[in-house]
Amino acid sequence: MTLTLDILLSGLVLGGMYALIALGLTLQYGIARIINLSYGEFLIAAAFGALFLYTGMAVNPILGMIVVVPAAFVSNWLLYQVVLMPLVRRAKNQGMLEVDSILGTFGVLFVIQGVMLVTFGGSLQSYSYLSVPVYILGTTLALNRILALVFALIIGGVLYLFLTRTRYGTALRAVAVNPAAAQLTGIDIRAASALAFATGGAIVGAGGVLISMFLTFSAAMGVVFTMKALIVVIMGGIGNMLGALIAGVLLGISETAVARLVDPGLTIAVTYALFLGVLLWRPTGLFGRPAR
Amino acid sequence: MLEVSGISAFYGKHRALDGVSLNVERGEIVVILGANGAGKTTLLNAVAGVVHAEPGARIAISGKDSAVRELSGMPAHAIVEAGIALVPEGRGIFGELTVRENLLLGAYPPRARANEAANLDMVLGLFPRLQERLKQTVRTMSGGEQQMVAIGRALMSAPDVLLLDEPSLGLSPIMCGELFHILARIRQSGLGILLVEQNARQSLAIADRGYIIANGRIVGSGTAEALKTDPAVQRAYLGAGEVKA
Repeated sequence: MTLTLDILLSGLVLGGMYALIALGLTLQYGIARIINLSYGEFLIAAAFGALFLYTGMAVNPILGMIVVVPAAFVSNWLLYQVVLMPLVRRAKNQGMLEVDSILGTFGVLFVIQGVMLVTFGGSLQSYSYLSVPVYILGTTLALNRILALVFALIIGGVLYLFLTRTRYGTALRAVAVNPAAAQLTGIDIRAASALAFATGGAIVGAGGVLISMFLTFSAAMGVVFTMKALIVVIMGGIGNMLGALIAGVLLGISETAVARLVDPGLTIAVTYALFLGVLLWRPTGLFGRPAR
Repeated sequence: MLEVSGISAFYGKHRALDGVSLNVERGEIVVILGANGAGKTTLLNAVAGVVHAEPGARIAISGKDSAVRELSGMPAHAIVEAGIALVPEGRGIFGELTVRENLLLGAYPPRARANEAANLDMVLGLFPRLQERLKQTVRTMSGGEQQMVAIGRALMSAPDVLLLDEPSLGLSPIMCGELFHILARIRQSGLGILLVEQNARQSLAIADRGYIIANGRIVGSGTAEALKTDPAVQRAYLGAGEVKA
């Protein structure tokens, strides 16, 4: 019983992180139509940022987000404007932009990863912040994990309210649904895409800080998070926030269960088995609508 | 109010528009008649900035402040802000969003924000059926209701000129009659309406003037009355081809 609860709680925290970073990727892919393979690198870069601020300058990670998240926003905005805009300009259709953006951001991945390897080395990194146990229903969970989950919920909630309750958020959804019509309502699609891409980057930056509070990470791990974010987005149904949330939590709990009950080495296998299973059962994801 | 002159556009090497000129005045409905592929849709899209027009065209609008703004070469979103709203072929609505969200997005351009609430009341007055469906997802509505959303959204941007591309396409005869009746009411508020239609009979009935377009060129124009009685127009667009004079 305690073990089950333990797995559920740890899985929920991990799943919450997956759902959060999947939300950011949904913004980048669903609105800006960029498949960003360098996505996870920004997560790792943010984790290093938090590590540096905490161990080097004694700034706690939560406070550190005030620096790291805007930096992630600005760097992603620049990535879109400088590197990706030429691809957007020359793309004749969405398919062409997707292929070009995969190749382009694949290159960006190695640039960022290389810089991080040179700067920080390739070894595993971690720091200890609020790793004190909290007793919940007979089991324990580290305070830093609880804090990470709380912040993930806050960020997800704020994003949801922004997208559904504000003029600019609704405009972003309009671009996701029908970009050709969006420009006819006076929306500057390129500006909206840049904003969505940068916001996605800010979210993965926040995710990186939160994850660094309780997981060890290394400069080479970005691609793992990119893949998991992609899997969660596709499993939940592309562009579906609720789907991403449920798929993320499902993945987090499955991974944790297998790591605890069977073997930690099998988590990647579980990820892909779950992914494959969902796609065989529902090719457009848990909540995706069938293609017309 | 809307002045277009010498507008040309290409699809690849195919010249879809060849030096088209026309104008629309305040409170006027102008209809463009022509066969499929004649360039009607391209013309509206070029005016709205969706299709790239060749350099040398002049597209100018004078709004209520009667200042003339030159629009050629401007992107589509800036042209909406200048006062031209296009209801595209196939409606171009946001199917996943609600009626209210669609309509309020129409008021996204800064020019429309101050009068957003008043314009929403005006649109719901024109289309009372939308009032009770504000929370419905547009994708689940009938074709006629979707067309109401599309026109309503365009009106929400407080345009000076409304461009409509085949608004009656796919509508039942009753809906169609209702639609043309509403267009006539919209005109009374002082908007200029430029209308592309297959339904020549009903559109000429509410129009003030018309242009005939063929192979990307304007080949005829006149008042709606004159066009209705023109034998060539009757033969081509009003189904009088079998009648021997």
